[in-house]
Amino acid sequence: MDETKKVAIVVSECSFDKGVMAMMIANTAASMGMEVSIFFTFFGLNLLKKGARPKLPGMYRLFTGTFEKKMSKVGIPQFGDQMDMAKEQGVNIYACSTSMELMGVKEEDITEGAKIIGAAGFLNIAANTDMQYFIG
Amino acid sequence: MVDVLDCKGLMCPMPVVQLAKKIKAMEIGQELELVSDDVGSKEDIPAWCQRTGNQLIGTEESGKNYTYRIKKLK
Repeated sequence: MDETKKVAIVVSECSFDKGVMAMMIANTAASMGMEVSIFFTFFGLNLLKKGARPKLPGMYRLFTGTFEKKMSKVGIPQFGDQMDMAKEQGVNIYACSTSMELMGVKEEDITEGAKIIGAAGFLNIAANTDMQYFIG
Repeated sequence: MVDVLDCKGLMCPMPVVQLAKKIKAMEIGQELELVSDDVGSKEDIPAWCQRTGNQLIGTEESGKNYTYRIKKLK
């Protein structure tokens, strides 16, 4: 077995598809023994708000419920549950400090377990990863 | 007695996520059988075993179902 692979993910948008994609990649990687760090920045921060229920983008927004039901049918947990699962599996969740300031998001608005960090702080982590993904 | 992890009806990545959770609770040397009807599992399960250093002892295909026998090595 090779040494532990490390993954860095940056999420800059908050639509349902982007949110679920980030969670799926993170949870799958974590289940394979990889160390995962996710940086939620700009609109991505909305996904970290307590009780976040992202919607599909634009006009597809109306189909979010239908999509959620489809996911349920094949055993895929909803976004919020996937976030919980990620935390359980040790995925490191980071909120961008600058985005929080610019968008008026307070620490108490953010889901528990998320750490607040700046871009340099995250890049320092990302510099030591094997795979980097940008979801935005 | 080998535990059976029934993942029928679950789509990728749920089978590997559940597998990881199950293996964590097992002792080294123990084996389990994972049953899945997800076509993605054909690649996912061997990949998971390779990544995590656990052993895929065998795979059986029966109709739409795949049964994977996995041994915990780590």
